Amino acid sequence: MLASIVLITLAAAPLGLLARRGPRPLVGWGLALLPAAIFALLLSQLPAVAGEAHITQAIPWAPAMGVELRFTLDGLSLLFGLVISGIGALIFGYAGHYMQSDPGLGRFFVYLILFMGAMLGLVLAGNVLTMFLFWELTSVTSYLLIGYKHDYPDARRGAQQSLLITAGGGLALLVGLLLLGEAARRAGVPPGEAYTFEAIIGAGEAIKAGPLYAPAMILVFLGAFTKSAQFPFHFWLPGAMQAPTPASAFLHSATMVKAGIYLLARLAPGLGGTPLWSGTLVLVGGFTFAFGALVATRKLDIKALLAYTTLSMLGGLVMLIGLGGKYAAEALAVNILAHALYKSALFMIAGIIDHETGTRDLNRLGGLRRFMPGTAAFTALALLSQMGIPVFFGFVGKEIMIEAALQSPLDAPWRYAALAAIVVGAVGYIVAAWRLFKGAFLGQPSPDVLQHHVFDPHLGMLAAPAVPAALSLLLPLGLLPLVSQLLAPAASAVYGKELELELALWHGLNVALGVSAAAILGGALLARFERRLAALPSPLPAWADGARLFDRLTDAMLAGATAFTAAIQAGQLRRYILYTTAAFLCAVGIPLAIYGAASAIPITPDPQLQPYEVFAAALIPVAIVATIRARSRVGAIIAVGVVGAMVSLFFILFSAPDLALTQLLIEVLSTVFLLLVFSVLPARFEILSSPWARARDAAMAALVGLLMTGLVLATAGSDAFGSIAPYFLENSLEKGKGHNVVNVILVDFRGFDTLGEITVLLTALLGIYGLLRMRRASPPPPAPSPSRGEGGQKEGA
Amino acid sequence: MYDSVILRSVSRLMLPILLLLSVFMLLRGHNLPGGGFIGGLVASCAVILQMVAFGPTFARRVLPANYLAMAAVGVIFAASWGLPALLGGQPFLTALWLPEPIPGVGKIGTPVLFDVGVFLTVIGVTTQIALLLSEEPLLFPMERGPARDEGAPRA
Repeated sequence: MLASIVLITLAAAPLGLLARRGPRPLVGWGLALLPAAIFALLLSQLPAVAGEAHITQAIPWAPAMGVELRFTLDGLSLLFGLVISGIGALIFGYAGHYMQSDPGLGRFFVYLILFMGAMLGLVLAGNVLTMFLFWELTSVTSYLLIGYKHDYPDARRGAQQSLLITAGGGLALLVGLLLLGEAARRAGVPPGEAYTFEAIIGAGEAIKAGPLYAPAMILVFLGAFTKSAQFPFHFWLPGAMQAPTPASAFLHSATMVKAGIYLLARLAPGLGGTPLWSGTLVLVGGFTFAFGALVATRKLDIKALLAYTTLSMLGGLVMLIGLGGKYAAEALAVNILAHALYKSALFMIAGIIDHETGTRDLNRLGGLRRFMPGTAAFTALALLSQMGIPVFFGFVGKEIMIEAALQSPLDAPWRYAALAAIVVGAVGYIVAAWRLFKGAFLGQPSPDVLQHHVFDPHLGMLAAPAVPAALSLLLPLGLLPLVSQLLAPAASAVYGKELELELALWHGLNVALGVSAAAILGGALLARFERRLAALPSPLPAWADGARLFDRLTDAMLAGATAFTAAIQAGQLRRYILYTTAAFLCAVGIPLAIYGAASAIPITPDPQLQPYEVFAAALIPVAIVATIRARSRVGAIIAVGVVGAMVSLFFILFSAPDLALTQLLIEVLSTVFLLLVFSVLPARFEILSSPWARARDAAMAALVGLLMTGLVLATAGSDAFGSIAPYFLENSLEKGKGHNVVNVILVDFRGFDTLGEITVLLTALLGIYGLLRMRRASPPPPAPSPSRGEGGQKEGA
Repeated sequence: MYDSVILRSVSRLMLPILLLLSVFMLLRGHNLPGGGFIGGLVASCAVILQMVAFGPTFARRVLPANYLAMAAVGVIFAASWGLPALLGGQPFLTALWLPEPIPGVGKIGTPVLFDVGVFLTVIGVTTQIALLLSEEPLLFPMERGPARDEGAPRA
């Protein structure tokens, strides 16, 4: 069932094209049936994942390497799956309204469905390889979504930054995950299972004690921090606000940015609790939490403001994972749900405001409550939840978050630092929320608002943010036991042990309530001076802007690559040969000189050496010298032919008739090819290159020759793998049904290699075809051009 | 293209012999020296010999084949003989054989057919490269056009 959910969703992507025709709002809500069905299906599995239970489904993928497509559903996956599909259903319906007049809506829906399938695959993955596959797929599909309005340079820039950063982090993550699997294997897990989350978590203690733990975790952190927009990789998230608002609401409230949180939470029960783990996560997460909330209070663009509160909350979730302990696990589950609800509502409302008034700039808005009373009401609900005002779901989340900081198993300084981050964050949220609401809905209508004919949107559009906004109030008021039942398995999965979850609005007078009240008071106080706060000069210098620094970095890389390419791709064949052989000498020659010398077999004279063998061998160097010294082109071609003929003679002498036949035929054909090409060049060589260049080329050629000789000797002396020749000789007739072992190897034992080789042949042909034929469209250049002839002569000399 | 009576007469005679030889090489490859690769080279030698003697336009008419397509078909043909094993649940390209040899041809199995794919690819690639080179106006500016297939000597 799990695999079907993911694969059917991915396969259903073309359905998005339905939006090209037909009534769009209807198509949007119709497509919303897909995530809605997934939501219902996942919800029906709730009893199956109660406690620590989980269901698993594995499909063999590359069984020889122990790689399988593995899906697991436990409490944590279920929570994320529900959030993705639930918010997804609303987003689909909303997008049909929001982009009603956008001609590319069909394409947008295709991306959106693909993204949702990738996201579901990510959270349902049962081993790290499956998870990584979908992790990368979310990076790619989110790139398409962010860059959807590709006519705008800002959209392209935002998409590129998010792709480079998340995919770059993905590379680090891949290595980290492979190291984790390797560490699990070393801890005694059978190789076929080493990459499953269960095995890695099960072997957690052994992995933590091993040498691979620190490097693996640092790489995994890099992957998670880039994906979840943690400082200092946070800047791509505000840049990604160039996406159409439905995509922002989906990607950045509930799904993609939470992938890093998901991964960390998934690994926490096995690999968490070490100083490295807690220290990094609390430090980075706590800083991002406070930093994002503070920056958000200064933003004027509604989406930018929401982006900073989002990355702030992501920081809070990372910090919770670092804090560890029972309450942190519970707080994580509660806040994931609470944040997904109010933030998706707010993003969709930002889209509605933009849609109705044509701007998201708080300076140009105001007084909207008169024209959009419904929108204003639901905005208030969502914002009150974000502010953590009592009886809203955000309040429940903040209470338990403070509890988690107070009850954390970490040392006191860490706990107080976390508490401070929470208080700063909570105050910042209140100021930012007040700023948003006041700027958009209160005060006098701005000229921009009055110009537009502004009113509440169509019910079908307003319903999408209304549902999560209303749930932010209804869940804590009436449904807390139900929510507890849903979140308990998720919290258990993060904690690693089954725990009871009893959410309540009133815990009595305790420290958490006091801290919460203080934060609300402080926030209310500061909110009064919100304008003046925003007018303060930025504490950071202008150059410290992450996005700008990153642009500089990518520009410098591009410039460097361009210069390097210009130097390497000089357009002269002799340069290419020089660089290729030089690279070969360095890449192969240096390791060979260091490691290969030991295994090289000594050269000893063969007592059975025959005189004709000596003669054939001696003819080869003679022919080579003749090639080099030849004054005419035909002479050089013939001399090269002699070398080839002698080599095939050797194949015959050492009983390899197949090789000899092939070599001879190739020799014939190369001679024909050479004659064809050389027939238009002057018949005689002229020496045009400098003596120095010739000495350099001679030295290069001699070195490559020496290297190849050494390589052959070292390979012949190496017994690292044992010989496979006896196997082929014994089984050729029996299993391959042929007497000719060479051919049986080619078409049967190593048939896959041969398939690769003929594919290379075909590719080479296509390249040559392209070079010679595709140019014909342009007017034929004057032939024969003098520069080409000169080049050939130089090389020939 | 070389305007030589001896070359032209001999290459006319050699054409059927070489083509037969190439098929012979292909079929006997499983038990004796030969195989798809060698057979393919022999066949393309046959065509290239015509090209040297009579020019590319004539050589293109020797076999009713589009060599570019032939190379591509060869790769697909070879790969497709890895599929039957998949149906039986075995890894891609696992050899399957008919129980009895076919008189005159020998044992038939997927590796032999795979070799046919190799044969086609090698003919297609080698011949097409040679023909492309000899049809290249930058190299042979005087030999363009269909009127020259029977070969006026090159300027």
